[in-house]
Amino acid sequence: MNRQEHEIRLKQIFGIDHFYDEQWEAISRILNGERILMIQRTGFGKSLCYQYPATLFQGITVIFSPLIALMRDQVRALNNKGIPARYINSEQSPEENTDTIQEALQGKIKILYIAPERQENQEWIEATQIMNLSMVVIDEAHTISVWGHDFRPAFRRIINLVKLLPQSLPILATTATATKRVQSDVEQQIGGKLTTIRGNLKRDNFRLYVLKVKSDDAKLIWLAQNIKKLDGTGLIYTGTRVDTEIYATWLVQNNVNAVNYHAGHDAETRKEIEIGLMQNKYKCVVSTNALGMGIDKPDIRFIIHTQIPASPIHYFQEIGRAGRDGKPTNIILFYNESKDENGIETDYKLPKAFIDGARPSIANYDKAINALKNEPLTMAGLTKATNLKENQIRIIKADLIDQGIVREVEDGKRKLLEYQFGAKALDTSVFEELRMIKLKDLDSMIGYVNTTKPRMQYLCEFLDDDSKTTYSNCDNTNLSKLTIETNEFWCSKLSEFREAYFPVLDVSETTSSTQKSSGIKWAVSVPVINRIDIIKNDQLFRSFNHSVNWECFSADEKIFLEALLKRHLEKKSHIINGVAASYYGVSNVGNALHRSKYENGGDFPDFLLRLTLKAFCKTFGNTKFDLVLYVPPTHSGDLVKNFAIKFSSVLKTPISHKLIKVRQTKEQKVFQNRLLKVDNIKDAFSYSNPLEIEGKRIILIDDIFDSGATMKEIGKLLTSMGADIIVPIAIAKTVGGDQL
Amino acid sequence: MNQELTYWAALAHTPSIWTSRKNDIVVQCFNQGKTVADFFESENFLDLDLKSQELELLKKTKLELANYAFMVEGLLNQGYDIVPITSEVYSSTLKTNLKYNSPLILYTKGNKQILHEEAIAIVGSRNANETSLVFTDNVAKKASSEKKIVVSGFAKGVDKQALDSALKYHGQSIIVLPQGITTFASGMKKYYKQIIDGDVLVLSTFHPKSPWSVELAMARNPIIYGLASEIFVAQSDDKGGTWSGVCDGLKKERKIFVRKPSNGEKCANLTLINMGALPVDMEGQPIHDIIKYEIVEEPCPIVAENPKPYETVEDKIRNLLSKGKYTSKEILELLHLSNISSQKLTAMLKKINGIKTEKKGGTNLYYIQTESQLGQLSLSI
Repeated sequence: MNRQEHEIRLKQIFGIDHFYDEQWEAISRILNGERILMIQRTGFGKSLCYQYPATLFQGITVIFSPLIALMRDQVRALNNKGIPARYINSEQSPEENTDTIQEALQGKIKILYIAPERQENQEWIEATQIMNLSMVVIDEAHTISVWGHDFRPAFRRIINLVKLLPQSLPILATTATATKRVQSDVEQQIGGKLTTIRGNLKRDNFRLYVLKVKSDDAKLIWLAQNIKKLDGTGLIYTGTRVDTEIYATWLVQNNVNAVNYHAGHDAETRKEIEIGLMQNKYKCVVSTNALGMGIDKPDIRFIIHTQIPASPIHYFQEIGRAGRDGKPTNIILFYNESKDENGIETDYKLPKAFIDGARPSIANYDKAINALKNEPLTMAGLTKATNLKENQIRIIKADLIDQGIVREVEDGKRKLLEYQFGAKALDTSVFEELRMIKLKDLDSMIGYVNTTKPRMQYLCEFLDDDSKTTYSNCDNTNLSKLTIETNEFWCSKLSEFREAYFPVLDVSETTSSTQKSSGIKWAVSVPVINRIDIIKNDQLFRSFNHSVNWECFSADEKIFLEALLKRHLEKKSHIINGVAASYYGVSNVGNALHRSKYENGGDFPDFLLRLTLKAFCKTFGNTKFDLVLYVPPTHSGDLVKNFAIKFSSVLKTPISHKLIKVRQTKEQKVFQNRLLKVDNIKDAFSYSNPLEIEGKRIILIDDIFDSGATMKEIGKLLTSMGADIIVPIAIAKTVGGDQL
Repeated sequence: MNQELTYWAALAHTPSIWTSRKNDIVVQCFNQGKTVADFFESENFLDLDLKSQELELLKKTKLELANYAFMVEGLLNQGYDIVPITSEVYSSTLKTNLKYNSPLILYTKGNKQILHEEAIAIVGSRNANETSLVFTDNVAKKASSEKKIVVSGFAKGVDKQALDSALKYHGQSIIVLPQGITTFASGMKKYYKQIIDGDVLVLSTFHPKSPWSVELAMARNPIIYGLASEIFVAQSDDKGGTWSGVCDGLKKERKIFVRKPSNGEKCANLTLINMGALPVDMEGQPIHDIIKYEIVEEPCPIVAENPKPYETVEDKIRNLLSKGKYTSKEILELLHLSNISSQKLTAMLKKINGIKTEKKGGTNLYYIQTESQLGQLSLSI
C-alpha cells in the first residue's frame, strides 16, 4: 500500500484525511519493522503514529505509558472508532486486569496500554511469553533516559526489555520534551537501527508570566483576587499534597469552584475529578503533578505553578498539556523570592531540599546491603531489619537493583530481595553526579524566573530546539507584568483561614469481605460519629447517617451487609477519625511544640489549647463526651497530661489518669517506619479500671500525631473494654512522618 | 544485556529439533561469520540446508522471538545468568565431553567462574547406605582439598552428601538441577550464603519453568558427567538413574570410578566394575589388583548386548532402538513382549526419553540416536 491508499484507510478508521509528513515518515518506517524516536510537541499527533500501524498488524501493540489518565481517554476514543483497545493498570480491579490479559492472549485486542510497573507483575510476565506481539511503544520516552530526574525503577526494566526485543520488531518511543542529551541517551537505550524524528517544540499560544512575591501568603491572596478573572478552566500545581488541600480549601472559601487532587486520592475520586475537569465543572483543579500530563483535554486555559518545578524540562512537560486547541492560554509561575538569614530564596529551598534529600546516607545503604548479605528478605522484612523509612528503603532498593548489587526474585507470590554473588561495591559517585546535574537544572529553572529573554525562547533553547523564529507572548516581551497587592483586609482574612484549618486524623477501621454470589467486594466503616460508609469494590458506594437505608440494596446484599456491619461493630476498633489543630510545620504551632518539648519551654502555650479546642468544637461541637484520656508519655514529663487537664476543664468533661503504659516503649520517632512503630507500642497500654470505660464516649489526646499507630493501639484497648467511641485529638499532625 | 540471548533461548527451546542438530546450525552460522541473531533475522535462515519440517518449526519460533525477549528479561532481572555455548564462560569440559550434544544454553545462578575449574562428579543412589555416604564424604573432602569442584545432582542420598561435604570442607560445588532454574526457590534459599559467597553454582539446562520430572532427572545425568573430568560412583542399584547414567558413561568411554563394595553388600557396584568401571577404595583411590581378590560369580556381561534378566522392559527397548530402527510390531517380536499390546507399547514409547520416530509408509519407525551415530565432529566454536 502506498501513502494514498493508507490515507484512505486512515479516513475510514480515524476520520482523518491526511498524515503530516513527519507522521507518515514514522509510520512507513514502523510498517517496515524499524525503530523510531519521535520528539514532537504535545498535540502534534504522536499517538496516531502507533495507533494507525497497530490496526494493520496481526498481533497486539503494547504501549508502556506512565500516564493512567491518558490511557483511559485513549482507550475510550479508540473503542469509539471500533478499534479493540484496553488498558491494564492499578486503577482496575485485579479481575478486570486478568480479563484484559485473557482477551489479549485470545487475540481480541489490537492496542493494549500498560503501566511500566506492570512489568513486575507475575501474571503479566507470564502472559507476555505467549502473547502475539507486533509492536512495542514507549510513551513519555524521556523517562527512560538516565538523565531523567524521575527515573522510575520500572523503566530500567523497559530499557532492558527493549534491548532484548528482536531486531525486526517495530518500536516507537515518543516524547514532547527532550534535550539533545536526553535524546542521545534514549537513542542509546533503544539501540539498534533507530531513526529520530524531531519537530519544533515551540508553543505560540502560551502567554508566559512569572510573578515574584515576598511571601507564600501573597500567592494565596493573588489567586483569591485574580483567578476568576482568568479565562476558562485550568490547573494549579502545588509542591506538596498538603498544599493542594490548603489551596483548594482557601479558594473554595473565596467562592472559587476549586477542588484538590493528588495521587493519595482513591481511584474513584480521581476519576470523578478528572471527569469534572473535562466537563469544565470546576474553575480549577489544585493538584500535585500527578494530574494533567495525561489529561486529554484540549482547552485547559491556564496552568499556575505555586512552586518552581525541578527543571525547565519538568516545567515544559507540566505546562505542555494546556491549550492544545491552540487558543491563548495563560501560563503563570509563582516565585517567593524572600530570603532567609543565609540569603537563600524561600522557593529555592523546597526543590533544593528534594535534591539534597533525594538519597539516603551511605550508612543506610550499607545497612540494607548487610541485612541482605545475611538472608534474602521481602521489602517488609528489609524495612524492619534496617529500621529505615519506607520511602528511603524504596530508593535504596531501586539503586541497589540498578547497580546489580541486589535482585528481586520471585518466590511464589512474594518477592525476595537477594544479594548477588560478585556484586560490586556501591558506586556513590553516580549519586553525586546526578545531584550535580539536578542542581544545575534547578539553577536553569531559576534562570527562567530571572531571564529577560522571551520566555518561550528560554525554554526552547534549554530543550535544544533549533528553530530560528522570533518569540513573543510573555511578560518579558509584549505582555505586562503581573502584580500583587497584599493589603490588611486580605492578610487578616488569610490568617483567619489558616487558624481555622484543621487536618483530619484518619484512623478509623474498615471490615471487608467478598460476597460469593456476586463476586462484589464490600466493606463497611464508621469514620465519623453516626456515619456508616458502605464501600463497594474499593470505592465509596453510599454514606448513611445513623442507620443504613436497606432499600438501596437487594435482599441478598442486605443480609450480607447486615452481617458484615455486625461483625465490624463487634470486632473492629471503635476509634473514629479525629482532628488536629494544625499541620506540624505549616504554622507557628510546630515551633511552639518544639520549644516546650525539647527546649524546656514549659507547658504548651495557651494559644495551642485555644486552637485545639477550636478544631475540636468545629468537628465535634454537637457531641457529648464522657471522658478525657491522654496518651501516657514515653519519658517523664507532664506536658500532654497538663494540656489534657486544661482541655477537660474547659469542656467540663471528666479526665482520667488511669491510662498507663505496662511496659517501657521507645519514642515512636525513633522508628522510621510504620511496621516498627506498630511493633513498638503493641500491647503497651492498659487501663486500671476497665469498668469505667464501658459504654463511654472518649476523647483521646496527644501532642503530635504521626503514623497514628499509638492512637490506634489505645483505641483497640478501649474498644475491648467496651468504649462506645474514641475520638483522637492532637495539637499537630506531621506531614509525611515525624519531622522533628 | 545481550540481545543475542533472546535468539539463543529461542533456538534452545525450539521443540522437536535435536540438540545436536541445533549445534550443527550454530556451527554453520559460525562458519558463515554469522550469529544466531542473523540466522533468525535473515530472510531465509541464512539459506542453511534445513529440512522442510525444521523450517516450519523455526518459522514458528521466529514469531515467538518477542516472547523470548520477555522471558529472558525476566530471568536476568532476577539475577539468573544465561550462558550460550559460544560464550567464554561456558564450560569447556562440558563441550569436550558432550560435543554436539552440549546444551545450547546454561541457566545459572552464582559463581560462573567455577565452570572453568577442574571438577569431579559424585553420583549414587537416593537410598544410599552409610558406607556410601562415608565414601562420598571422603571423596568430596579430597576433591575440596585439591581445589576441585564437586558436581552433584541435588537428589537425596549421595548427591546431597556430596554437596554438603564439599561445603563442609570449604570446597566449591555445582548443583545440576533436574528442573527449571526458577523452580528451585527452596534450594536457593537454603544455599543463599554459599551462592553469594561464590561457593555454589546452581545450573540448569532446561526451560526455566520446567518442574522436576523423572525425564529431566534422567536427562540431567549426562550434564553432571559432562561437567566433570572424573566420575565417582558411591552406590548404584541395578536400575534407575545412577545405573543408566553409568552405563551411558561407560558407553561413551568415560573414566568412571566405582566404590568397591564390601562382601555381601546389596548393590550393583560390582556389576559396574565388571562392565568396565574402575574400582576404588573408600578413599576414592584406584584398586589396581581387584581381579586378584574378587571372584566374579557370573560371566562378565558385555555392555548393551544381550538383554539381561534384571533389565526393565524400558531398558530392553532402549537397547534395541539404539541399534536400529524398528516398527512397534518388530519391537514386540524381537523382545518377545507378547504380553504387551501394541497400543500399550506406543504409550510406553512416548514416555521414554530420547526416542525418535520416522514415518515409513503408513507406519512409524522408532529409534534412539546415540553419540556414536553423530560422529566425532569437534566443536570449534
